Amino acid sequence: MTTQEKLAMLEEIMELESGSLNAGTKLEDLEEWNSMAALALIALMDEEFNKILTGKQIKEFKTVQDILDFME
Amino acid sequence: MINPLDLTGKHILVTGASSGIGKATAIYISKLGAKVTLVARNEKKLEDTLSKLEGEGHSVYPFDLKQVEEIEGLINNIVSQKGALNGLVHCSGIATMRPLSMTRTAFLHDMMLLNFYAYVELIRCSSKKNNFTEGASFIGISSARSISGDKSQTAYCSSKAAMDAATRCMAKELATKKIRVNTVIAGFIKTAMYDMFVGNAGEEAVNSYILGRQYLGMGETVDVANAVAYLLSDAAKFITGTGLIVDGGFLS
Ligand SMILES: NC(=O)c1ccc[n+]([C@@H]2O[C@H](COP(=O)([O-])OP(=O)(O)OC[C@H]3O[C@@H](n4cnc5c(N)ncnc54)[C@H](OP(=O)(O)O)[C@@H]3O)[C@@H](O)[C@H]2O)c1
Repeated sequence: MTTQEKLAMLEEIMELESGSLNAGTKLEDLEEWNSMAALALIALMDEEFNKILTGKQIKEFKTVQDILDFME
Repeated sequence: MINPLDLTGKHILVTGASSGIGKATAIYISKLGAKVTLVARNEKKLEDTLSKLEGEGHSVYPFDLKQVEEIEGLINNIVSQKGALNGLVHCSGIATMRPLSMTRTAFLHDMMLLNFYAYVELIRCSSKKNNFTEGASFIGISSARSISGDKSQTAYCSSKAAMDAATRCMAKELATKKIRVNTVIAGFIKTAMYDMFVGNAGEEAVNSYILGRQYLGMGETVDVANAVAYLLSDAAKFITGTGLIVDGGFLS
């Protein structure tokens, strides 16, 4: 899966315009990054990447790159 | 002296007995004299529960209840090896939170498999001739969430509401067999499931939400175990087709 495809998935769960995210985007700058988006991310990791993501791990994410790294 | 909660010699099947409410219930009813059969997936944890039970005749049947088609064989096995059931408590359950945008049919189905389909199937099989004794009591652990909805809980709340609805129907249908069917509608109880909820929803939000509504504070597993013991006992012989609310005031 390409980085572009992963970014598109993240844009979809946060309902952001396509192309609005890049790896360096800080999560705290995103109004759309809230508790619902975090739960959607847990679901995405489970269904698309077969990974278990916990609430604790989510708190450690600072940038979009941190999320992309977790998807590896 | 009388003990209205006396369960001496009653054979009770408890699912989810490896953790939380199911584990506490199994231990508690063994102290009231019940012979308990423990079901869940984790055999090691079931053995740990077993080691904490009082009295004799208890046993462990490791089983994945999402294999709903195999439940009939499980019940037949248990009854032939341990005797007919005086009661059954379905504590196995999952409570995965997911926003509506990610709540696809496969996810709904997965939640229903354990929380709802397995519940109905356990009762369907246990209510067959020779599998139960007269006066048997079947119980599901439902949630205040079956009545009060929340964001990201469409699947969970629906599975518990389905459990409550089915309980009312099965109670009517099984009354002629002298079987009672009820749920316990639990509020927030301190277990692994609750810890997961806090991890996902954030401690502050949860605390203000819970302390604001559940004004008796945090529930303990023994609070639910007490309600279950009551519904299992003959003291509740006139109670069927209902949900006993044990929620520290949450729904009031
Ligand atoms: N805690 C609360 O605040 C609360 C409130 C209202 C209602 N409830 C309900 O109470 C019940 C018990 O919850 P809890 O808080 O005690 O949670 P818990 O500690 O997480 O226990 C869940 C139990 O379900 C079992 N389980 C999970 N998947 C299973 C499967 N595929 N097959 C068989 N067993 C399975 C687990 O055992 P294995 O992993 O060993 O299989 C475990 O024993 C649930 O139905 C829950 O919805 C809880």
